[in-house]
Amino acid sequence: MIEASSLTKRYGAFRALDKVSFEVHRGEVVGFLGPNGAGKSTTMRILTCFISASGGTARVHGHDVFDEPLEVRKKIGYLPQRASLYGEMSVWEYLTFVSDMRGLDHGVFKKRMRDIVEVCGIAQVLGKDIRTLSHGYRQRVGLGQALVHNPPILILDEPTSDLDPNEKAEVIRYIKEIGKERTILLSTHNLAEVEAACPRAIIVSKGRVVADGSLEDIRTKSGRVRYVVTVDEQRTFEGGAKAVKKSAPTAQEVQDALSALPGVSHFKELPTDDRAHSFEFGGSPGSDVRHDIFQLCVQKGWYMLELRREARSLEDVFKALTKGDERADRGRKIVAEEEEPEDEAEDEEAEGDDDDEVEGDEAEGDDDDEVEGDEAEGDDDEGDDKDEDADEASNAGAKKGPSGKKG
Amino acid sequence: MRIIWTIAKREFKSNFISPLAYVVICLSLLLLGAVFFFGLPRLGGAFFQAGRATLVQMFTLMPPLLALVVVPVVTMRLVAEEKRSGTLELLITLPVRDYEVILGKFFGAWGLVMVLVLTTLLFPLMMFVFPWKLGALDWGPLGSGYLGLVLFTTAAVSIGLFISALTDSQVVAFFVTWFVLVLFTILGGLVEQNSIAALRDLAYISFDARLTPFSRGIISLRDAVFFVSISLLCLMGSFWALERRKWA
Repeated sequence: MIEASSLTKRYGAFRALDKVSFEVHRGEVVGFLGPNGAGKSTTMRILTCFISASGGTARVHGHDVFDEPLEVRKKIGYLPQRASLYGEMSVWEYLTFVSDMRGLDHGVFKKRMRDIVEVCGIAQVLGKDIRTLSHGYRQRVGLGQALVHNPPILILDEPTSDLDPNEKAEVIRYIKEIGKERTILLSTHNLAEVEAACPRAIIVSKGRVVADGSLEDIRTKSGRVRYVVTVDEQRTFEGGAKAVKKSAPTAQEVQDALSALPGVSHFKELPTDDRAHSFEFGGSPGSDVRHDIFQLCVQKGWYMLELRREARSLEDVFKALTKGDERADRGRKIVAEEEEPEDEAEDEEAEGDDDDEVEGDEAEGDDDDEVEGDEAEGDDDEGDDKDEDADEASNAGAKKGPSGKKG
Repeated sequence: MRIIWTIAKREFKSNFISPLAYVVICLSLLLLGAVFFFGLPRLGGAFFQAGRATLVQMFTLMPPLLALVVVPVVTMRLVAEEKRSGTLELLITLPVRDYEVILGKFFGAWGLVMVLVLTTLLFPLMMFVFPWKLGALDWGPLGSGYLGLVLFTTAAVSIGLFISALTDSQVVAFFVTWFVLVLFTILGGLVEQNSIAALRDLAYISFDARLTPFSRGIISLRDAVFFVSISLLCLMGSFWALERRKWA
């Protein structure tokens, strides 16, 4: 299993990771999501002992990444982003090299190769030089080298980038398959892949964990549910509350009645034909007002033509969580004042460079996002739907990260 | 040891996959042969003009040849190219220690340069053993001369490796290595006539001055320690440069 506790990484004044904590248990396939520059690759590089954290601790398969890097590396299979391989070697030579480096017996290696060749689909390129392969095949070889020693833990940084849709589906199918016995941390930008392969996701933004939990939890906790209700505007039926006058409802009546339900907001009338009123509105996280809506229609004697409840898509949640977090940054300091007061101004200056592979020099990027705290408060007053969603997302979505803090 | 050997083997072989190693070895041997047999007046003339069964000229010619062409070309890509292309990340995240990576790369490059150095053994063997027997060669100075070359190669490759580990540009690594090696090789000649005593003392760290006793058959422990010290310092520096990534 993988445990990260308060991992922090600074590149000069830029804070690439800010107290990132999470756990991935045995047999879990966890999607590691976040926009470019969020700190996904940095976290993975720390977990694979390629770089060291500036603070915090991490353990992989029970071994500390700082004290026992060799033990950690023996237990993991790692596919870095844009896996670079030795182009002058053939695929077979390269995989043999990796096997030799890992000290595998040749018999064991050949046995493993049978599986890897089949799973990664590299049978026809085994004898070819890696430099002559397409990006997709190189990615497959990269995946193959991560699997050579049959590791209990796989850390895959965008394994499906550069693959065509069929190849992507195949790799995701394989990840699901091997994930039954292994711990897998899978970084990707493709949310559909996460939904297909990962029961759980961790979303990071600006170096912090902003959501951690099962996909359903993240969807529910971090965002509103959406209801669509359509009632007949011409006919009513007898029944329900006898005192209520049974007449054809107007749009205003329907909206007023629905808006009296607990936790609903953001009403929007949807275009329909002349025979129905249709409304879309949001519900509060964790609640379900379908029973109330049904009861209301019965009481009023309205014919309900449609009632739909939809959780937000992961993509919406992702956008809300990461955008909301970015917006919240403008008005608040990332580091607690008592902790490191001298870093604060520099942290703000360092914003703006979103490259995933942040080097020290690169940290001093564009300062477009730099906004004074007062201005950020001004932003908060713009109450469009997205902003409200973002607020909710950053308040409710983070299980362990500090995203819930207000500026 | 297994890991060092695996890395060294891959590094050594990679030179022969491209024409690089063949071109460097062949051109160097041609150049060395031409200068050795046909001579350059400023380097003491050709072998046959010396009138003695000696290979001192070869041991005088070899260090500048290695410093000017061979070592910078062989060492420039050792770490710099791996950093630039990103292969270093995969290599380092295998179960290896940083010093094993450095030593593996060192031995891979050192092995290639030694192939060239040892190939020059063909000169004395062909001239004095088979097929020609040009006279009785004094094998003592030959052995010590080669020992000097081995020590020089070790130090030069270590310097090249260190510089390659400091940058991610092969071109920068090549020129800096070239400059440092040439400077160390010709330093003795540059400062020996200088009127300032302190500058003349710089001759003590000149490769040229340190190699002269070896080519004359003298195995000087002081000179051997000099080359070994430079090698160790540069290997430690390379290790530090590689570890630097963790804390960047």
